[in-house]
Parts: sequence; structure tokens; C-alpha cells
Amino acid sequence: MFNASFKKLTTSLLALAAFALITQGCTKKVSDTDTTLNIVVRANIKGLDPVRANDLYSSMAIANIFESLLQYNYLKRPFTLEPSLAESMPVASADGLTHTFKIKKGVKFQDNAAFKDGKGRELTAQDFIYSWKRLADPKTASEGFWIFDGKIKGMAEWIEAMKAGKATYDTPIEGLTAPDANTLVIKLTGPYYQLYDVLAMPFSAVVPKEAVDKYGQEFLNNPVGTGPFMLKSAGDWVRNSKMTLVKNPTWRGQAFPTEGEATDKANGFLEDAGKPLPFAEKVVFTELVEDTPRWQNAVKGNFDYVEIPNDVFDKAIDPADRTKLSKELTDKGMKLSITTSPDVTYTGFNMKDPILGKSKELRQAMSLAQDGATLIAKFYNGRGIVAQGPIPPGFPSYDANFKNPYSTHDIAKAKALLAKAGYPEGKGLPEFTLDTLADSKARQQAEFFVQNQAAIGIKVRISANTWPQFQEKIKTGKVQLFGIAWNADYPDPQNFFQLFYSKNMSPGPNDSSFSNAEFDKLYEQSLKMAPGDARNAVYQKMRDVVVEEAPWIFGAHRLGYRAIHGWVHNMKWNDIQNDFPKYIRIDAKQRAELSKKL
Amino acid sequence: MAATSNATMTAAVPTTASHAKMRNSLWWDAFRRLKKNKVAVASFFVICVYVLIALGAKLGLLFPDVAIGSPSMQYLPWSWEHPFGTDVLGRDVLARAVHGTATALSVGLISSGISLVIGLTLGALAGYYGKWVDGLIVWLYTTIDSIPYILLIPALTFVLGRGLINVYIAVGVTSWVTLCRLIRGEFMKHKDRDYVMAAKVIGASDVRKIFRHILPNVTHLAFVQFGLGFVAAIKIEVILSYLGLGVDPSTPSWGIMLDDSKLELSRPFWGNLAAATIFMFGLILSFNLFNDALRDSLDPKLKNK
Repeated sequence: MFNASFKKLTTSLLALAAFALITQGCTKKVSDTDTTLNIVVRANIKGLDPVRANDLYSSMAIANIFESLLQYNYLKRPFTLEPSLAESMPVASADGLTHTFKIKKGVKFQDNAAFKDGKGRELTAQDFIYSWKRLADPKTASEGFWIFDGKIKGMAEWIEAMKAGKATYDTPIEGLTAPDANTLVIKLTGPYYQLYDVLAMPFSAVVPKEAVDKYGQEFLNNPVGTGPFMLKSAGDWVRNSKMTLVKNPTWRGQAFPTEGEATDKANGFLEDAGKPLPFAEKVVFTELVEDTPRWQNAVKGNFDYVEIPNDVFDKAIDPADRTKLSKELTDKGMKLSITTSPDVTYTGFNMKDPILGKSKELRQAMSLAQDGATLIAKFYNGRGIVAQGPIPPGFPSYDANFKNPYSTHDIAKAKALLAKAGYPEGKGLPEFTLDTLADSKARQQAEFFVQNQAAIGIKVRISANTWPQFQEKIKTGKVQLFGIAWNADYPDPQNFFQLFYSKNMSPGPNDSSFSNAEFDKLYEQSLKMAPGDARNAVYQKMRDVVVEEAPWIFGAHRLGYRAIHGWVHNMKWNDIQNDFPKYIRIDAKQRAELSKKL
Repeated sequence: MAATSNATMTAAVPTTASHAKMRNSLWWDAFRRLKKNKVAVASFFVICVYVLIALGAKLGLLFPDVAIGSPSMQYLPWSWEHPFGTDVLGRDVLARAVHGTATALSVGLISSGISLVIGLTLGALAGYYGKWVDGLIVWLYTTIDSIPYILLIPALTFVLGRGLINVYIAVGVTSWVTLCRLIRGEFMKHKDRDYVMAAKVIGASDVRKIFRHILPNVTHLAFVQFGLGFVAAIKIEVILSYLGLGVDPSTPSWGIMLDDSKLELSRPFWGNLAAATIFMFGLILSFNLFNDALRDSLDPKLKNK
């Protein structure tokens, strides 16, 4: 046994040594005409069907192949919607319930064997109706159906009829009509101010019926859209390894935006203003789950940009000025981009738990016991800010001066509250269970949580799960405490507040099963309000309720640190929309030049 | 030469009357030879040290404050106070490794205990009764053996959930096949021997024949197999914990330390990797060496070599 494993060890060491020789031995030749954009993703891409665009990296690939009616302006902040497949911004009726879209003429689907003669046909308004029926179809079971659920007139009835087998895709839905080939009319059941936001999400992207019919379940691997890039053949994607998208020759075309934020000009984001998109001939996604090879390949120039992993962070950043890259990387021509992610990490309480759900003081005490600043310093290398509430910076209603009284680290106050709750020094409390993911980082953070709570006498044990197990436990309410994060789908705080609405309780998105009459009233009120200061005031009231009731222990709003090579132009990172590859320009000559230094 | 074959005969085929004495002489013999083997003695000494460490950790004599660390002490380099430095939560890495020893030894002991009981019982039943009992048991162990353990054990821990007890069970109920097969073979060989026939003639029951007569003649196999199982169980626990399927994170384990070190290598922090590897290396090497020596000394055919 010992011998066998020793042999294996020697073999693998030899293989490793050989690999090192190969990678060090050859000098890299970089073409000075190749404008391929090389992207590396840290999780595997699951599929390329917009109705399955449920995870970040799948939506990233999908956003290049498929398009929706609207999109966010690449440069403007706060995020501003602009037409994509729509000819212009839609016209809303006075009551806000009817929205009329004009669709661009002459937009063609990508060439594919699904069409007659293999030539993509022209897009019509009917295609949107088909695509959204497909999203709503109970047989599709899309995770993205929530964007229309209960919002569009007649859709619920259509779904019921589909379930009963009494309807087909030809059965009309009252709220979705196409008076002519380029006009689409949406009728809503009630006010829904997030409609335009969701019409920019990949879930609402348009797909051609011919391709879905031809490929069936395999549409996931044979995507056909209207976007700037296309998967030429299913063989261009080797699962869990690499995907190559090429420029779509029949794309409708778009020009690089000519205006943006005040700082954009100084940052060089307007150099290409007005030039036709896309710049890259090809986009290659490489799927690399492990941090170290992802980082090292990127530094060698095999990828054009990379998120800086935790463990190389200290080496990658200039110790004197933590907003700059280290000298070694700067000398290679790399730049640093820092962005606030539209997210919040938190430890949720199950409000249905007989102990945790009953005592506000207990939850507040546990929140005070958490050392958020150290958590961020230790596990995110300082790349984050302590969350004071659910709303991340950059969102409407975010108030940088607001301080959550329970988001500070105050052991004395925590102990006082614990005593007030009737559990002095944690006496009388059972050992709680914290559910988390089984990966190394999640486990270490959970161990830190345990360490924090031990300081006020609360005992916590960790239960580590696979992602499906974890989801299942949360959705069925079989948790006490759980560590998780929420990433915004669209830049409206409502996307966070829906997580506290009692009618969204598990298995809905309200994982904590929080239920509060005052909050519900405010939430329902906010849904009927147009964006603006009045609505922001209501949002802040909702935030105050959530902070006081403490169904979550707020963690961090994370900051994204990306190292970008010098030959990459126009990389203005945003976490809301993933269609950035069409805006990126790779300077092939510069790449060939800089690669010599790597 | 004559003496050798005589001793072999008596060892392998003891008569019922002198049973106790003969058994003693086999084990005594083995012990004497083992004692002469310097490597074996050294390995045994190392194992004893590990056992003492584990007991000390469990009884709270060694590093009783293993779970406590201080955030300000994150990733301290090695020093006399912290020979392997401190980990991400500011805990002493040596303390974690010491407590990991207790976890590892308990998994080795209990898991191979479980597999010993299952393997011996099923092997004895299959070998002694033959016919359909044999068929059933052979079917069972071939089925289990046909599934790679690296898939079977994680699958079991998925069903049972994480935790130390579930690791004992998962490893225990999957690792008895080799022992069972060996014991079955020995029982088939022994059940028609004269001493068993003699027992039958004087009216001994099946249970008596299996446990009082045949079993003592095959225990040396079980002994060696137990040692091999022990080492395998420790390794499996480390692998499972490394993959996040083993003990729950509150239990110190070498596997979890290795998992931690995966995130620390580029930092570079070597404490977790070094401590877990050195502790594992020492235990597994000495166990394997001791096992080899034990097997040799228990094998009558190798007696004079």
C-alpha cells in the first residue's frame, strides 16, 4: 500500500516537474493582430439558455449571445436604461399599466441550421411573446419566471390553462399583444416599476422558436440569439473547460456611448466614443475553479483581466497605497480596478425558530457580537465595507451616514442585551447550528462566527453542506442560522427588500421567513410608487424596521478588485449587466509588446 | 528442521485439550520475535506516543484551549511558543494537530473495530455454513467491493450527514470486505479438519465450533487486517475532511488543516501543511512498519527467517 502510493507520488512529482519545464521552457509568441478577448471565470458555466440564466457565469456568456429589449448604459452611473432591441424607450400609458415598445427593424437572428437555408430570419414582436410564454411555461420551470409572476394581465390564466392541457403557445395572453411586426404592447395587472429593469435581464431575452423546436433540451448547448457574439458550433464549448464565441457577422450594430460619468473622460473611457462595436473578433471563456492557476495564468497574460484572489492579495497590492497594484505588476503594465459590488453578505436567522425568532434582543446581541471589521480584514483582505443595512452603496436611498446600532462590535452592549433577553452570559440557551457551504472559505468564516459568538457565551456548531443541500435546507426551513449573500438582479433596492416581505416567505426568496406587519405595509406602498425621493424615503423606513428587528446579521458589501492588463481598453466594470465584452477593445500590438515582459 | 515443522503443526492444528496452552505459545512466540525486531519496537514506541498525545488531548491535559484563538494573532510565523505558527483564526497550529491526532486515532480504532466485527462474523458464517449463506454473503461483498470506495464513502456521508460518528459508520461498513474474504477462506479450510470433527463428535454446537474452536485459529489474520484497516481509515478520514465531507468543522482534523493550507500556500503560510503532514507521516509510517513486523512474526512459516 505504502509502495503503491509512493509510486503514484513520484509519478505525479515527475509530471509536475515536466510541466514546469514545458511552461518555463518555451517563449511565448503573441500575435500582434489577434483581438481575442480572453476571460477567465471562477465557476463552471452551466448552460446557454436565457431561461436558465440563474448564475453569474452562465448569464455572462448568455449576455453576449442573446439580447433583451433594454440595456443599461455602459458608462453612466447611477445605472440608466437605454434601448437595446427596442427602437426607443417605451411609451407608458397615464395609469402606468400599458407599455408600448417599438422594436428595431432589420434585426436578424444569428445564422443557424435551425432556419431555412441556415440564414437567420428577421426578429418580430411575436418572438418576444413566444420567448416570454416559454419563460412562463410551467414545463420550462425557469428560475427566472419571477420577473413576470403575477405582473402581466392574463398570464396566470394562461399558465393554469397550460397546466390543464387546455392551452398552447398559440393561445393568446391578454397582456402581451403585437399589433404589428414591430410593436409590442404589455399590459400589467398593477403598477410594476421594476418592469423596465427586468426587461434588461437575460431572463427576458428573445429566442427564436425554430431553434428551440429543433434543439429541444439541447438548446442549452446550441444557443441562437441576436447578440454581438455567437457560438458557431456546439463543439466550440467544451464543458468545464473552454468556450469560444465569435463575432456575429449579421449583428444589428451599436456605437460606443459618447457620454458617461464626469470622471470617464479622465479615466480614458471615452477614447472610443462613437466607434462601432464590438471590437473583439472572438471572446474566449476559460473555466478555472482553482484560485492559484487562475491568477498565475492571468499574470502570464493568458487572460486579459482577473479578480485578485484572497491569498495573493497582499503580494498583488502596493503595501503603501492599497488602491494600487504592486510594483511588480505595475511594471508589467497592469492596472487595478476597484468597484463596489451590488451585494450584501449576511447571517440569516430562521424567524420560525422558537428561540431565535422570539427574541429581538437575542438577535441584536448576536449581531453586536459579530466583529464585522475584522471579518472583512481577515477574510476579504479589507475588500469590503461593514454593511449597515441591506442596501449597498450606489443604490437609490443608500445613506452613507446611516449607522446601524447593532452593526458595531460591542461585547458589553451585547452581553447587556443578552441578559435583557433572559439569557445572562448565554445561560439557558441551547447550542445553535450554523449552516454553511462545505468549501474552505465558507467553513473558515463560519469558524470565525463561532469564535465571535463564544465571546458572549453563545455556543454555535457548524453544519457544512453542498450547495443543493444548503438550498434545500433553507427552502424547507430546516435551518437556525445560515451564512449567505444576496447579489442584486437590478439596481433598485426593492430587489433587496423583497427578501423581507412576508408573502415571499420560504420557499420564496424570504429565506429568514421574516414577517412584520409594518414592513409589509411599507413594502406594498413602495411598489406603487414611481422612482424618486418619495419612494427613497419609504425605502429608508423599511430599512429601519429591518435593522431594528434584526432578522439578519449584516456582513459586508464587498469590493471587487480586478487586475487588468495594459492592452485592455474601456474596461469599466459593473456587476449589474454582463454584456461588457462588446465594449472592450484589445490592442493587439500593445499586447504583443507587453507580453514580452511577462 | 524437525522442531520447526512440529511447532507449525501444533500451532495450526491444536487439539481441544491443550488449546489454551498452545494458543499462548503462538502469541508468546510471536511476541518474542517481535521484540527482537528493532524497527517494530521503535514503531510501537512511536504509536504509544501518539496514543498518549491523543489521550492527553482528550483528557484536556494538552492544549485544552484548542478552539480559542485571537483574531489579532492571525498567521503568526513559527516561534517557540507556536512551533507551527497560528492559523487564520489565530489558533495554535500545533494544538490543532495534536487534537487532530485524537480524531484520527478514534476514527482508526472505531471504524476498523466496526469492520472487524462485520468482517469476522460474516466471513465465519459464510465459510462455515457454505451453501446459500455463503452465496448471499459473497454476493453482498462483491457488490460492495465493485463500487470504488472513493465514491461509496462520500455517497454514504451524503446520506448520513457530516460528523465524526457518521465517518466511523461510513468507513466501518465499507471496509470489511478483505477481512471477510480472508476469514471465509480460512473457515472453509478449517471446518473439515480433524479437531473440528472431533468437536462435532462430542456434540459441540455450531456456535461453539465457530467461536471456541475455529476462530482462535484465524485471529492472527484479523489482527493484521485490523492494523491495515486502521491506517486506511485514518487516511480516508483525512481525505473526506479535506473534501469537506468528513468531520464537522468544529472537530480538529488533519484533513481540515490540509484544506486550510490549500488557501495559504501562496501567502505563504506553511504551518498547517507542515504540521498535518508530519503528524500523519509519523503515525502512518510507524503503523505500517509495525504491521509488517506483526504479520511476519505471526506467520509460522516465516518463523526462522
